[in-house]
Amino acid sequence: MAELLFELGTEELPARFVVPALDDLEKSIAELCAALNLTHGAIRRFGTPRRLALLIEGLPEKTADLMKDVQGPSVKAAFEADGTTPKVPAIKFAQSVKLPVSELKRVTTPKGEYLMATVEEKGRRTFELLGEVLSTSIRKLVFPKAMRWGDVEQTFGRPLQWIVALLGTEVVPVTYSDVKSGRVTRGHRFLANQPITIDRPGDYEALLEKAHVVADLTRRRAMTVERIAAAAKQAGGTVLQDEALVDQVLNLVELPNPVVGTFEERHLDLPPEVLIQEMKSHQRYFTLTDSAGKVLPKFIAVSNTPVKDVKLSVKGYERVLRARLTDGRFFFDEDRRSTLAARLPSLARRSWIDKLGSMAEKSDRVRALAVWLANAVAQQATVPTVERAAALCKADLNTGMVGEFPELQGVMGREYALHDGEPKDVALAIFEHYLPRGAGDSLPTQHAGALIGLADRLDSLAGLFGIGKRPTGAKDDFALRRAAITFIRIVVAKGYRFSLSAAIDQALAALAPKLVDVKRKAGEPGVREQLLEFIQGRLESTWRESHRADVTDAVLAVGIDDLVTAQLRLNAISAYVERPDFKALAATFKRVANIVEKQAKDVARAPVDPSKLTDEAEKTLYAEVSKVVSAVQTAVKADDFSGAMARVVPLKPLVDTFFDKVMVMADDQALRENRVRLLMEIGALFGNVADFARIQTE
Amino acid sequence: MYFQDLLLTLQNHWAKLGCIVTQSYDLEVGAGTMAPYTFLRALGPEPWNVAYVQPSRRPADGRFGENPNRLFQHHQFQVLLKPAPKNVQELYLQSIKAFGIDPLEHDIRFVEDDWESPTLGASGLGWEVWCDGMEITQFTYFQKCGGYECRPVAAELTYGLERIAMYLQGVESVYDLEWVKGVKYREIFHENEVEMSKYALHESDPEQLEMLFKSYEAECKRLIVEKELPLPAYDYALKCSHAFNLLDARGAISVTDRAGYIKRVRDNAALCAEGYLKMRQKLGWPLCKTAWTVGEQLPMHEGKPASDWWKTVSFEKKADKAEKKAEVTRG
Repeated sequence: MAELLFELGTEELPARFVVPALDDLEKSIAELCAALNLTHGAIRRFGTPRRLALLIEGLPEKTADLMKDVQGPSVKAAFEADGTTPKVPAIKFAQSVKLPVSELKRVTTPKGEYLMATVEEKGRRTFELLGEVLSTSIRKLVFPKAMRWGDVEQTFGRPLQWIVALLGTEVVPVTYSDVKSGRVTRGHRFLANQPITIDRPGDYEALLEKAHVVADLTRRRAMTVERIAAAAKQAGGTVLQDEALVDQVLNLVELPNPVVGTFEERHLDLPPEVLIQEMKSHQRYFTLTDSAGKVLPKFIAVSNTPVKDVKLSVKGYERVLRARLTDGRFFFDEDRRSTLAARLPSLARRSWIDKLGSMAEKSDRVRALAVWLANAVAQQATVPTVERAAALCKADLNTGMVGEFPELQGVMGREYALHDGEPKDVALAIFEHYLPRGAGDSLPTQHAGALIGLADRLDSLAGLFGIGKRPTGAKDDFALRRAAITFIRIVVAKGYRFSLSAAIDQALAALAPKLVDVKRKAGEPGVREQLLEFIQGRLESTWRESHRADVTDAVLAVGIDDLVTAQLRLNAISAYVERPDFKALAATFKRVANIVEKQAKDVARAPVDPSKLTDEAEKTLYAEVSKVVSAVQTAVKADDFSGAMARVVPLKPLVDTFFDKVMVMADDQALRENRVRLLMEIGALFGNVADFARIQTE
Repeated sequence: MYFQDLLLTLQNHWAKLGCIVTQSYDLEVGAGTMAPYTFLRALGPEPWNVAYVQPSRRPADGRFGENPNRLFQHHQFQVLLKPAPKNVQELYLQSIKAFGIDPLEHDIRFVEDDWESPTLGASGLGWEVWCDGMEITQFTYFQKCGGYECRPVAAELTYGLERIAMYLQGVESVYDLEWVKGVKYREIFHENEVEMSKYALHESDPEQLEMLFKSYEAECKRLIVEKELPLPAYDYALKCSHAFNLLDARGAISVTDRAGYIKRVRDNAALCAEGYLKMRQKLGWPLCKTAWTVGEQLPMHEGKPASDWWKTVSFEKKADKAEKKAEVTRG
């Protein structure tokens, strides 16, 4: 068994390339090995800005010999009519597998009888196979952006500088672009930039460590986090957690050396989000806070080099931040010379989306739709706040600060609104209409922000669907999937009851002047239908993450026009799904649902006629059904679907007995129809919750 | 280190390595990249190694001499190495050591930063080089120029001289830089900033600028299409670009019109690129015959991938093709 070290040495790769490239490399090497029957043990990964490396353990000297069945020509073609005298194809096949014709086997396939031979495939030397595997794996690497360099045809994420390909003590020949493989790597660019010769793959990590490079990503990450925390503690603060920033910084250094710097306290009156953004987005600095979470006038930068005199280098870091904060302060002061309200006319000159007009027009539509929603969900009290906040909610887009940091949209709107003396609720709603900004973000705390956010997203969905820009495949340029999922999330969390289709109609009506000229393909469903289907699709995929597909289908089939009740119905049925007797329960109701569905066209809905009930079983069932009908209806009206289920479920044994004892499809039409109507009545009871015909009971 | 010494140190460093040192191009440009020493020379298979200071005008950045960091006109030190030497990063690091930035004393990093110039139809991949978190150089491997692929790939280094000098001298305002002992940047350039900003932001005549834009544009086209003179044509492309920048700084171009102006500048730059390539090809790519190399640079003789590649590129414009077709029919 031998180990392989495969290292691609590069000029500094973009931080975001490192992990995906390692994933790709590992996957394609594993696949290529599998295809060649080359077994291996564990694969370890190493990555820094200057290298992508894999250490593969447990490689055999050569691959195993294999006994392999080879199929030949059909018996019919290979032999004369007697079935034993070989013709040319049989002889040729025997030659090709190096066996006498008499030792060829016969197999029966769906296409007839064929000749077959078992041949031994000799294993190949791992050393030779790896040359192929490694070369192919480099060619197959895909970067988000690839480049050429010098006078080479091939591309890579950044210019390739060296390749190490070492199987045991031998160099596997691999060539890519202007680089040939060897056993020489390099250490830290400034602390140990001399060639380092590797004798054995197992020495790699320790040799690099000596050369000031921590190549193991997991270890370097732990080290980065630990050292940052220690530096923060020493500086008397806590690091503001930011996993994404750690991931980025991690791949900007080969050795993490956090240093603490300070900035002038006078900048602390800038909104904390601005300070954080200034430090993070341009400089990749970590913010420090006190125990109460207040931003301290300190930061942590992570150097690649443990410099001789930290003070000198920190002075540099502080200088850059000082200039940035001065810029930020300039924007903040300049922006506040004008009020948000005074900026509104400028939104008319800001295009939202080409065919859908300006931001001012969007703002107007959002305001009207948000007010409509507020009335629809009986939150009339919030209408004045909604009106004002919706009018102002996009005004911060034209401020210098948001121009510099688009991530601060909403945050600056809130700050500037407060500065303008707008009511607190209005300022909060401006901020909250963007919430949640991602899967982990919190929801709006107040109705005004939630309703404006819903209106904003629905207007975007309707507008973009209206001009044919709906997401297709992986392409979702306007993040409409996220918009729809967030829309659903807010509606359900806030318990907003309204008709989804009516809201879509409302949004489309406001957009009508923009959509009037849009050409549509013949036979294409209308925008309203497309959008309803799209939202249902998002709901379905969200539900399916934690619910059975058939249960999801069964609930969706009853309709989603009221998203809140749709969710409540799912919750109600979910409580039963996990029970051991659910399958039997579902089977019974499914049987009811199936019969009702089948008979629906022949049997008109009508009350059950008690006088025509003959059997004891159907009489008992009818009596019980009659007892629960009104309770179930009351429960449904009160959105208490669990209560409704709790009343319907006990009918199961009676329904079973009914099916056992009573012939539904009686010859007598009147009897038959009456029994179907009894089933219809039961169907209607649970039909409020889900369509049981869709539940899988097999 | 005085501003002037920084500039001379860089010039000497690259001169010693074999670069030619040209003087600044004598037209208004927004960046060193726009000088023909970079934009045109980055095209085709010929080697080219050059270093020069380029005063760069950015009308929209004019701040009337009031902002310590932003200038109407700043100075770039521009280096173009084609093909990019295998050790170009090392050559670069030696240059910053030469003016006193020691990578063992400062945190030097290469941070992803790709570059694209919509007005030049040019783009490249590379880094901004950080010194203790401050960008001191833009380092780019040219991939495209004037709409043509760059083969071989040139490495472009653009040093922001004012910024580096401020760092070296430890001053907070560009106007406090000492150019030579006893003479500050303020004394040399402050009034220039005041007047140029006044002109660009308040006093320029948009109507006249628009007229100039149109006539420069037309002259560029005429020189290329009718006269096959790509070098003077490119001068007009540059004037055109500067007129656009002035119009833009004056707020005279609406958001919707902006893309149209940019496309017009780009189209002219692409025409010049094509004209230049045709001209060099006709001359037989003369620099390919030299043994000129800098650092670990490959010689670009006949038979290299790049020179083979350029043989497959046709510079014939559609108009030419139509003309030829007509000739064939007549023949």
